[in-house]
Order: sequence, then structure tokens, then C-alpha cells
Amino acid sequence: MASRKEGTGSTATSSSSTAGAAGKGKGKGGSGDSAVKQVQIDGLVVLKIIKHYQEEGQGTEVVQGVLLGLVVEDRLEITNCFPFPQHTEDDADFDEVQYQMEMMRSLRHVNIDHLHVGWYQSTYYGSFVTRALLDSQFSYQHAIEESVVLIYDPIKTAQGSLSLKAYRLTPKLMEVCKEKDFSPEALKKANITFEYMFEEVPIVIKNSHLINVLMWELEKKSAVADKHELLSLASSNHLGKNLQLLMDRVDEMSQDIVKYNTYMRNTSKQQQQKHQYQQRRQQENMQRQSRGEPPLPEEDLSKLFKPPQPPARMDSLLIAGQINTYCQNIKEFTAQNLGKLFMAQALQEYNN
Amino acid sequence: MSRFFTTGSDSESESSLSGEELVTKPVGGNYGKQPLLLSEDEEDTKRVVRSAKDKRFEELTNLIRTIRNAMKIRDVTKCLEEFELLGKAYGKAKSIVDKEGVPRFYIRILADLEDYLNELWEDKEGKQTALASRFLKKAPTTDEDKKAAEKKREDKAKKKHDRKSKRLDEEEEDNEGGEWERVRGGVPLVKEKPKMFAKGTEITHAVVIKKLNEILQARGKKGTDRAAQIELLQLLVQIAAENNLGEGVIVKIKFNIIASLYDYNPNLATYMKPEMWGKCLDCINELMDILFANPNIFVGENILEESENLHNADQPLRVRGCILTLVERMDEEFTKIMQNTDPHSQEYVEHLKDEAQVCAIIERVQRYLEEKGTTEEVCRIYLLRILHTYYKFDYKAHQRQLTPPEGSSKSEQDQAENEGEDSAVLMERLCKYIYAKDRTDRIRTCAILCHIYHHALHSRWYQARDLMLMSHLQDNIQHADPPVQILYNRTMVQLGICAFRQGLTKDAHNALLDIQSSGRAKELLGQGLLLRSLQERNQEQEKVERRRQVPFHLHINLELLECVYLVSAMLLEIPYMAAHESDARRRMISKQFHHQLRVGERQPLLGPPESMREHVVAASKAMKMGDWKTCHSFIINEKMNGKVWDLFPEADKVRTMLVRKIQEESLRTYLFTYSSVYDSISMETLSDMFELDLPTVHSIISKMIINEELMASLDQPTQTVVMHRTEPTAQQNLALQLAEKLGSLVENNERVFDHKQGTYGGYFRDQKDGYRKNEGYMRRGGYRQQQSQTAY
Repeated sequence: MASRKEGTGSTATSSSSTAGAAGKGKGKGGSGDSAVKQVQIDGLVVLKIIKHYQEEGQGTEVVQGVLLGLVVEDRLEITNCFPFPQHTEDDADFDEVQYQMEMMRSLRHVNIDHLHVGWYQSTYYGSFVTRALLDSQFSYQHAIEESVVLIYDPIKTAQGSLSLKAYRLTPKLMEVCKEKDFSPEALKKANITFEYMFEEVPIVIKNSHLINVLMWELEKKSAVADKHELLSLASSNHLGKNLQLLMDRVDEMSQDIVKYNTYMRNTSKQQQQKHQYQQRRQQENMQRQSRGEPPLPEEDLSKLFKPPQPPARMDSLLIAGQINTYCQNIKEFTAQNLGKLFMAQALQEYNN
Repeated sequence: MSRFFTTGSDSESESSLSGEELVTKPVGGNYGKQPLLLSEDEEDTKRVVRSAKDKRFEELTNLIRTIRNAMKIRDVTKCLEEFELLGKAYGKAKSIVDKEGVPRFYIRILADLEDYLNELWEDKEGKQTALASRFLKKAPTTDEDKKAAEKKREDKAKKKHDRKSKRLDEEEEDNEGGEWERVRGGVPLVKEKPKMFAKGTEITHAVVIKKLNEILQARGKKGTDRAAQIELLQLLVQIAAENNLGEGVIVKIKFNIIASLYDYNPNLATYMKPEMWGKCLDCINELMDILFANPNIFVGENILEESENLHNADQPLRVRGCILTLVERMDEEFTKIMQNTDPHSQEYVEHLKDEAQVCAIIERVQRYLEEKGTTEEVCRIYLLRILHTYYKFDYKAHQRQLTPPEGSSKSEQDQAENEGEDSAVLMERLCKYIYAKDRTDRIRTCAILCHIYHHALHSRWYQARDLMLMSHLQDNIQHADPPVQILYNRTMVQLGICAFRQGLTKDAHNALLDIQSSGRAKELLGQGLLLRSLQERNQEQEKVERRRQVPFHLHINLELLECVYLVSAMLLEIPYMAAHESDARRRMISKQFHHQLRVGERQPLLGPPESMREHVVAASKAMKMGDWKTCHSFIINEKMNGKVWDLFPEADKVRTMLVRKIQEESLRTYLFTYSSVYDSISMETLSDMFELDLPTVHSIISKMIINEELMASLDQPTQTVVMHRTEPTAQQNLALQLAEKLGSLVENNERVFDHKQGTYGGYFRDQKDGYRKNEGYMRRGGYRQQQSQTAY
């Protein structure tokens, strides 16, 4: 959504569809007071990520990799990346950290930026708001404050517009994650909602002048037919998939709520019991007092009534976040499609 | 027995000696030896028949078997004992051995023994304690005894070596064994005929009956030689017949012979030996002959021993004994024999031939009891008859039905008709009698089930179904005992198959669902035990279950059963799946069928179908596409014919029915699947595509429209189906589902909100009854009201 392109390299890939969204993303990014205000990506990195997915990822499988670069003022420049190897069960003793260090050392030898600034991941229909992503981004951000995660959506890209987004955890969420307390009260106190879990950082793609020149030249040569995916009217499949996924999440959400509901009911029931117990105790004590007997000894109420385990609310937050992403996806997609349909209609009428 | 001989007769006989031996042996604590000696004894009486060689060799093998047993349990003492016996027996068999050469089993046992001994010696150090404890357990032997045993063993080893060398010697020179044979030859002559009565005793009724009672007293006692007892009884009959003691006595003795024949087997699990079985059948037949020939004999179990009248010819003869029980027992024995014979052997066929005899006997008894028996007895014998009739397909009646009597074949027809009444008529008659007269529930239940089964077997679906519904058996069959339940299962299955033959796939599916969905069809039909549950049951249960098994000739082909089930499921499920493709709340009609489909999908490489299941799966896939020709070729082809369809009595009829069903259901599936891409279809095209005639197509489509399965209308003049296109698209469906889910989400959310309001007391009340809850929502605000209004 926020892939605003700078430079003239890829003007062909609809700046119109992303321009509006970019502003919004920027606004949101600006609201957080984090260290990074902007992400600048080298064309090389984009191509490498795309290539990585095309070679190794398929279907629901995701590919991941490390981003390298450096921080300049409030701008994060990503100048290179390398993929995590796909590891199978055969080589269970594969050491990822070792591999990363080795890789970075090698890159340093050839004079490439070797600072670890984040990681990237591909996604399947925008379903990336997961616990795993949260955990790893948290550990990244904990270690390297400026790090971001780049989400690459190959399906949207295949439809004609590059979809690459940079996300960071909001400072609030960082706090919560640091505490590791996901109880309803803690989240309430932190005042966190699904909207403020991730902040999106605007992206700028930068190419060297030489490449820009090359692009110009290529554009002149390229045939027109290459750009037709963008205008494809066959949208039902994509929409159906999105709906299906959305439905699954809604189901999960429902379950989660039911769980929470039971918890609430149990707590209130217990509260009532506790209350009754206390009252009874009081009455008895009063009677005893009137009879001149010593009052009953105080008992530990918390031992008597163990409060039920509160369900972790992080999951439902994540699900809500995911639902939000899907909804936005669908909204964006349908808006574009409506436009296309109107255009097709107009064309039809014109032809007749 | 020995007591009998000493008191009952003063003549000394060989068998009494053997009897004494029997009595004394068990005192030594060796029960295991008893049956062996018994059989040996029996052999002796039969020596005349057997060849000397067989007899000797059998003796040897018997000994060898006991030695092996002793080896297994490490009973060295016994081993030695038997070994010595073996040596003697070998000596006796000398002459034969010289003729035939040394039998291989003899050499083998010697070699094995030697190995065993060596092993024992080697093992001795390690196992000493174990052995010692074992010996101590067996008998209070001490170390000294053990040493003695070891010494014996040493001796034995030595002896064995001697014998081996001796045997080698003997192979060269053959002049020793002759006299052994001669000496032995004398013995059996003495043994041959145990004398019943002292010579010159006048044989009268009183004497014979006294004798009989004496013999009977030994019955059931430990150590009684059952074979000899039978022998004696038979002799007694002969004597009675020779001396013209009248039919009463003979009948009485015959009863007892049969009873002791049944008694011959010590426990329930083992079955009769063929020769015994033959004897038993003959005996019952003879008995029936007598009873039919002498209508003045009364037989009954309620006649007391004292009131029996066996010889007074003036009054009707009265004999205690129940022919019905004997026949029932005989039937049980027959079942047992069938259960215990390998169904794929020639032997089984041989045994099965006896079935005719059994049936004949039952028929005779039935005739007899119809004249003389009480209704209860008649019911019982009728049931027996029914049980022997219901599972047989009446080819004659079938043939008669197919070819209505014409002039040319009239004589044949008459002949066939004369041979016996239709089994259907017979069943009807017998069953109706039972329905009317029976007072025990079990017999009636069995009769009904058999009747239904018989109807179903002969494709009289409606009678069978009505009877099943009228009997209300489906409600309370679970209270019946397992054999009746098995019968019920068999009947249901047969009913299902019958429905299938009639083209009533839905009924077929329903009838078979219970049996097939459990995956234990084999067990439920009593056609075999499942290995899976072997751990769950103990030995005792397994024995009981084994006894419940249905003999092989009554089996229902399980593959046929499964095929019928799967094909009916396919015919129901595929159109249903096509109609409800995007319905989230779609339920499965048949889980098993889905399971098979999934198994088929999981295959990484799909070859041409091999098994019946693969055929059905492949056919289902073809049907899904509306391709009825491929479907047809998968369901009906050489392989499937051989495996399934040819097993039906009217195979061709079933096949044509099936083809038609496939065509119809394919048409429906096609319409469901592809109606969204058509604006209109000509019915003629459809009728061409599915090779159905126009009226059929018309009726199918009309039915679909009426049931609101197909949103379309018929255009009569052009003979086309015009689609309305009102079904929601996939996206719309999804959206609808999503809306539903969101609705429930909102509801759940509101409950949470209720909590937040702090009215948890109210909440609980809400939960208890729906009406109040609804009210609560109404009270709470406009939003909800609005929503409910839009919903209506």
C-alpha cells in the first residue's frame, strides 16, 4: 500500500493505485515516534526478494531472508539482502545463526553493507499477522532498534502492482511484549488495540541513475501486451480466496470470544461465591461474638477460590489485526475492480 | 466300568483289564496319558479292519508325540518312560519295519532326542536352579532324585546309542520280529467281543434294562471309556433285536446310543468325528423308522422313568426321551462340523452333502411331531426347518416363475412341481404357524427374520420391508441375544441387497448403512473374527465368539455387500454433492464413501482401477463430470462382473437397472454442475447426451424444478429448459456465509458486553430460558430490534 516509488524506473507500474494509500500510510507512520521515519530500498533488494520467492516459494509456503543496510538520520536505507536457506527435516542440525554470521562476514569482504537492519517475508493473500511474525519482529527490534520487516505479497504483485510493505512494532506493543503479560488487564492498561500493533513505515525505492537510464530504454522497447494483467477483469478467484480466509479468521475470533466469555462467567461466578462465603463468615462471626466466643480464624481467600486462568488476549488481538488486513485488502481490491468494471462498461458502450 | 464288569458279569474280559488300568493310571498323576490310552484301546477293538502297518506306525507316532510334549515341558522322567515304551513298540513293529524300511519319523525323534539331551547337559549349569524349581513344583523331588534322573538320562543316552546301532544291524538281518507278531495276534481275539451276559443267561426285558441302566450309570464319570460305552450299547441293541424284545426296548436303547454319541466329545468346542457323525445320522434315521413303523410308541421327555412301558404290548408303549432335543442337538453338531472345516477344502463339500440328510431327518421329525407333538414342539421343529430353508435360493420356483407353463414343457413342469412345494409357500406356512402358536419370543423373532430374509432373497422387496416394519424389530433388537442379532444383521443386509436389485438405491443405502459404517461388517454378520479386537477379549470370549460364527455356506459375500453399498452411496452422494457444492452446512450422506474418495485422491499416481473400491471411486469421478459413459464402463465391466454382478441371481436385470440409474443420476449431476453456464438447454440434446428417452428427461427435470433444486422452467413448445439464474454465485455464497458468521460473532461479543455491564445475575437467568433472553435484548436497545426486523 505504501510503496511510493521514487525515481523514474518503474513509473509504468501504476502509481495511481498506490498514491492515495501512500499518503495514508505516511500519516500513520508519522503518528508513532519511532526512530525510523522512512525506508529506502534499493531496486536490487526488491528484485532479489521477488527472485527468491519465485525460486523457492509456492502456494502457502513463505520465504524469509535478512535485510542489510544502514541508518542515515531517520531514514533506513536497505541496500542488500540474502535469503534464509529453506531447511528441511534432513538437516536438523543446521545452524541458522552461524549461517547468517558467515554470510555477513563474506559480504563484508566484498565491501557490501553488512549491518543487520531487519528481515523480509513473503505472504499468502496478506495473511502475515501471526504470532510467529510478532515474536521474531519483537526479538529483532529488541536487539536492533531500527529494524523493520518487509512483507512482500507475490499474488498482488502478479496482478500488476508491486506490493511491498515495511512494518515495525509500535513502542506500546514493544512494552507489552517485553512484559510478556498478555492478560486482559495488562492489555487494557497498555491501551492497545489491533490498529496500533504495527506501524507501517513508508517505502521509497531508489535506483542509481544508470539503472534509471536503462529502464527508460527498456520501456521504449517493451511490447504493450506485457502490462495487461492490471486490467484483468477476472477477479472472483482472488476475492473468493480472501473471503474464505477472512471467514476462517472470523471463526477463530468467535471461538476466542466464546473462550473469553466462559472465563468471564467463571470469574463472576467465583466472585459471587466468594462474596457469599464472606457474608456467611461474617454472620457466623457476629453470632459467635454475641455468644462470646472467639471469631473464626482468617483464611486465605485466594487459596480457597483460585481465580480461573485468564485467556491470553494476544491471539485475539492478532486475529483482529489479521481480519483488519484482510478487510483492507478486500476493500482495496474491490475498489480497484469497480473502477475497472466501469471502465470496461464505458469501453463497451463506446464500441457499440 | 470295572465295577460293572465285576458285578454285572462273571466272565473276565480284556477290556475290563484295560478299564482297571485306566482307573489306576490317574492315581499316578498323569492325566495327560489317559486319552492316549483310550484311543489305543479303541484301536484294539478295530484291529481287524486296519492294516498292520498303519496300526504299528500310529502307535509309534503317538508315542513320539508324547515324547515331544514331554521334551517341551522338560519332563525328563516322562520322557524316559515314553522312550522305553517306544523302544518296545519299535520292537513289535520289527517285521513291518523290515518290510518297509525304517520310518523317518522314528529316526528323527531319535536324532532330536539326542540333540535335546546334549543341550540339556550343556545347559545344566545355567539352568540348574530353574530346573530344580520346576522339579520341586512337579513333585517333591530333592537333589538326590535329580541326580537319579540325571543318571537315568545317562542311561537313556547310552541306550539310545545302542538302539541306533542295533537298528542299523537290524536293517541287515531280518529274522527277529516274527514271533512278536504272533504273540500279539492272540490278544485281540480275546479282547474282541466283550461279553454282555453270561453264557446261558436268559435274555429278558428285565435283564436288558438292568444292563442298560448299568451302562448308563457309568456315563459322565471320569475315566469312563466313552467309545466302549457306545460299543456296548450297540451290542445291546443287537442282542435286544436278536431276542425279539420288542420295539420299546430298542427305541430306548437307541435314544441312549445317540445321547452317548453326543457325549463322546468332552467339551463344547470340539466337533464330532466324521464316522461318529455318520453313525449318529444313521441311528436317528433308524429310530425314526421304528417310530414311524410303530405308531403305538409314545415318546416324550415328560414320561417318567417309572411310568415307562417298554414291553407290555397290550398297552401303548411309552418311552422316555425326546426326539426333538436329539435333532436339535444334531443340528448343532452339524453347524459345529461346518464351522470347524476349512471352507475351501473338498472336505467341506463332503460335509455339506450331509446337509440334505440333516434336512431329511428334520423333515421326518417334523412330520412325526405334527402328528404327535405339542404345539411348542412343533414350533421348535418348524424353526429348525426354517433355519435350514431360509438362506437357500429356490431355483426351481424361480425357473417356474420365469417360464409360465406351456404345453411343450408341461410334463417337466409337473415333475418339478411334484418334487416339492415352493420354498416360499413352505416358509409362509411354517412361519405363520409359528406367529400364531409360538409363546416364546425368541422363536418368533427368528422365524420373522428368516421369513424376511427369504423374501428378500427372492426379490420380494415389499413383503420383506412390510414384514420388517410390522415386526418392530428395529426398535428392540439390541435386547436380543447375539446369535439373533447376527441373524438380524444378516437379514438387514439381505434386505439392502434386495432393495438394490429392485433399483431402490436409497432404501438399499439405509439398510446397509448401519452395518457398513461400523467397518466391522465381518464381525457383525458372524463371518469371521476381527484381529483388531483380539487383545480386548480373552480366550474365553474368543471361544464363545468362535461358536457364534455362521458356517461358510450361509455367508453373504462381503465384497458384494460393500460394492452394493458404495454404488448406492455413489448414486445418492454425487448428485447431492453437485447440488450443494458451496453449501457450508452440507452434511455427508455416507462417510464411508467419502473416505474411499479421499483415499483415491491421496494416491500420487492414478493407474487404471484394480479393486472393486477403486472402480467405484473412478466411476464416481466420472459421474461428477456428468460423464455417464465412462462411469458405466467403470461400474460394469469384466472385472466387476466377475467380482460382483454375476453373483446376483438375475445379473442382467440388475445391470440394466444400474445403467439406467447411472444415466439418470449423471443427468442430474450434470444439470447441477453446469446449469450456471447455460441460458437454456434443449431437452432433446440432453436426451441424446444421456441416451434417455425424452419423457424420462422431462420427468427428471420436472422433479428437480418442483423440488426447487433447479432454478429453471420448462418451455413446452421448444422443448427447452430455461435457466433462471437465480442461484447465488460462489462469491455470493461466501458472502452469505460470512454474514452468518459475523452475526454469531456479534452475538458472542454482545454477551461479553453484558458482562461488562455487570448484570451477571441477569445473564444467568437469560441463559436459562430463551424467551426471557430475547426480551432482554429487546429491552436493551434499538440496534437489536432493528436487526431482528431486518432478519424477518
